[in-house]
Amino acid sequence: MKLLMVEDSERLQRSLCTGLQKHGFTVDQAFDGEEALAFIGHNDYEAIILDLMLPKLDGLSVLSKLRSDGINSHVLILSANDQTEDRVRGLDLGADDYMVKPFAFEELVSRLRAIGRRRNGVKNPVLEVKGVEINTVSREVRHVDTVIPLTPHEYQVLEFLASRRGRVYSHDQLIDQLYDANSYVTRNAVEAHISALRKRLKAAGAPNLIKTRRGFGYLIE
Amino acid sequence: MYSIRKRLNLTIIASMIVVLALAAGFLHVRVADQIEAVFDAALLDKARALISLTELDEEGLEFDFAEDGVMSEFEPGESAQYYQLWESDTELLIKSPSLATSDLPQSKVQPGQHHFSDLTLADGRAGRLVAIGFMPRIEEPDEEEDALGDMPVAKPIALILARERASLDHTLWVIGSTIWGGTLVVLLLVALLVWRLVGSGLAPLSKLASQVSDIDESNLGARLQHSGTQSIEIAPIEHQLNYLLERLQSAFEREKRFSANVAHELRTPLSELKTLAEVAEMVPDDPEQVTRFFRDVGEISGQMERLVITLLELARSEAGLLRADPEDIDLARYCDQIWTHAINGQSNSKTLVNHVQPNLVINTDRDKLGMILSNLFVNAVSYSPDNAEIHVSAEIRNQNIVLQVKNAAMDLKPEDIVHMKDRFWRKQRSHDDNGHSGLGLALVHALARVMQLDVQLQLDQQREFRVTISGLQPGG
Repeated sequence: MKLLMVEDSERLQRSLCTGLQKHGFTVDQAFDGEEALAFIGHNDYEAIILDLMLPKLDGLSVLSKLRSDGINSHVLILSANDQTEDRVRGLDLGADDYMVKPFAFEELVSRLRAIGRRRNGVKNPVLEVKGVEINTVSREVRHVDTVIPLTPHEYQVLEFLASRRGRVYSHDQLIDQLYDANSYVTRNAVEAHISALRKRLKAAGAPNLIKTRRGFGYLIE
Repeated sequence: MYSIRKRLNLTIIASMIVVLALAAGFLHVRVADQIEAVFDAALLDKARALISLTELDEEGLEFDFAEDGVMSEFEPGESAQYYQLWESDTELLIKSPSLATSDLPQSKVQPGQHHFSDLTLADGRAGRLVAIGFMPRIEEPDEEEDALGDMPVAKPIALILARERASLDHTLWVIGSTIWGGTLVVLLLVALLVWRLVGSGLAPLSKLASQVSDIDESNLGARLQHSGTQSIEIAPIEHQLNYLLERLQSAFEREKRFSANVAHELRTPLSELKTLAEVAEMVPDDPEQVTRFFRDVGEISGQMERLVITLLELARSEAGLLRADPEDIDLARYCDQIWTHAINGQSNSKTLVNHVQPNLVINTDRDKLGMILSNLFVNAVSYSPDNAEIHVSAEIRNQNIVLQVKNAAMDLKPEDIVHMKDRFWRKQRSHDDNGHSGLGLALVHALARVMQLDVQLQLDQQREFRVTISGLQPGG
């Protein structure tokens, strides 16, 4: 799940980014409102974590701008403002969720996962595809009773495609969604991850879930 | 606590009771006296009539009124009247047939005098008598007769005339009950009227009290209002209360804003600490990350400590707990020391240009001046462009020393100046400004007040920001 974190506190950015990446999120970082709009203009984010007090352009202005531009990314406001009117204003401007600082990191992660499920029309945090169970909370993949060991990148590819069943994603789209803006990733790397993933599924006796549409990309049906 | 309305009602009604009771009592006594006097006068007239019918001739005393059929009221009967006459206070001359075997009380009375008194009549009724003394009229002798020959000697006679007084008592009772009953009715009406009039007179006060009691901390924006013409007694109260409400609301809002600002300023570093702690647990095997996290924790703690110290200093200055403790200070050297300590090598690209003349000694509180300079230098470094020079200078004006710190501040606008001493005011409300909480200049002003210094902020056309501190005393 690809996120944009807009937060002016460098320390909070750093720790949140580390934690979210550990949980399998792909995180881009913006430190002010204008930088956030620039990122949003060039990337498709599933969720945006947005602070309200930002240099250059405040969070609510960023939110208004992206909604008026027709950008439908889910927005979770993360602010020290705890007044009801602040929450109401944020939600009325198009935010999907509001968390007050200080917050529990695990709660933030859970809310982001819930946003991801809502976005893909999935209710159950455990995805099931042809006998393969993908637990999006524990990030564990099982076939029958066998746990299939996957690297973080392999798991990310599997969860991404499994939660968007029937949709074809090209190499570039996968790179865009699964890697942050600072990563340099080639098509070969994506192919390598998918190839390794297929081998691990096969080794566990699971069917080949990932199909290739030549000239288009990959999908899970 | 007492009710003004109740007290007014009771006071007015009690006063009315006393006044009306006195008036009624006086009237009753006067009327009763008058009626009794009329009654007595009638009795006396009748006695005098009897006297006029008493005559002394050569045959002795004649009582013409005692003849049969002349005065029937002295005959026995239900409304009988009584008389009795004594000569020389001892010899009974005559008494009315109505007395039968009983007598009227004998009374000594000199001729020409009379007196009244009450008595109980023979039939048991209450009665009233008049005792009158007189000398019997002597009949004129006929011309032919020798008048002086056989005429007896006249002796003083006492006449007691009595009649029942039931009709008088009844009249007095009717008059008394009419006066007192009327007074009671008037009192009741007055009480009712007073109750209503006092209530209606105090209605604006009651309305004011009701409006005031409806105001609490949740609706301090409410203001006292009146309908119709305002009374000159209530108007100043309402005006003053509204003024106090306005001030209270303003104080509450300031307090609320201050609390919200404090909470906000603490929430962000707390949030950073909490996230650092939670995320650090996830990367125990990444020493580089953990080391970085610990460094962040140190920075956050320092930032929170500065915030808390500043808040405490502000609170102390507001509570009047801060006192200036002056001592001699070498100003030029002290400025350099504070710069070194406050900036602590954090801004190598910016320099302090110290124009203060060497050996200029001032007499002021060292610690507080240090805090003021430290805040001014940190602000100057934070908000000046790269490679900027921060100038500090001092000059003597009117035997006082004026200290000035100036630096370029390209982002500042003239309209920002008035807000700069407000607590938690920052040009940017975000946290990209190295942990500035917006309290520095508020603290500078608070400390300057304690030290009896004046602080002026100015921004000139070239966007050069100047802080001028005047009132410093020369030392030495």
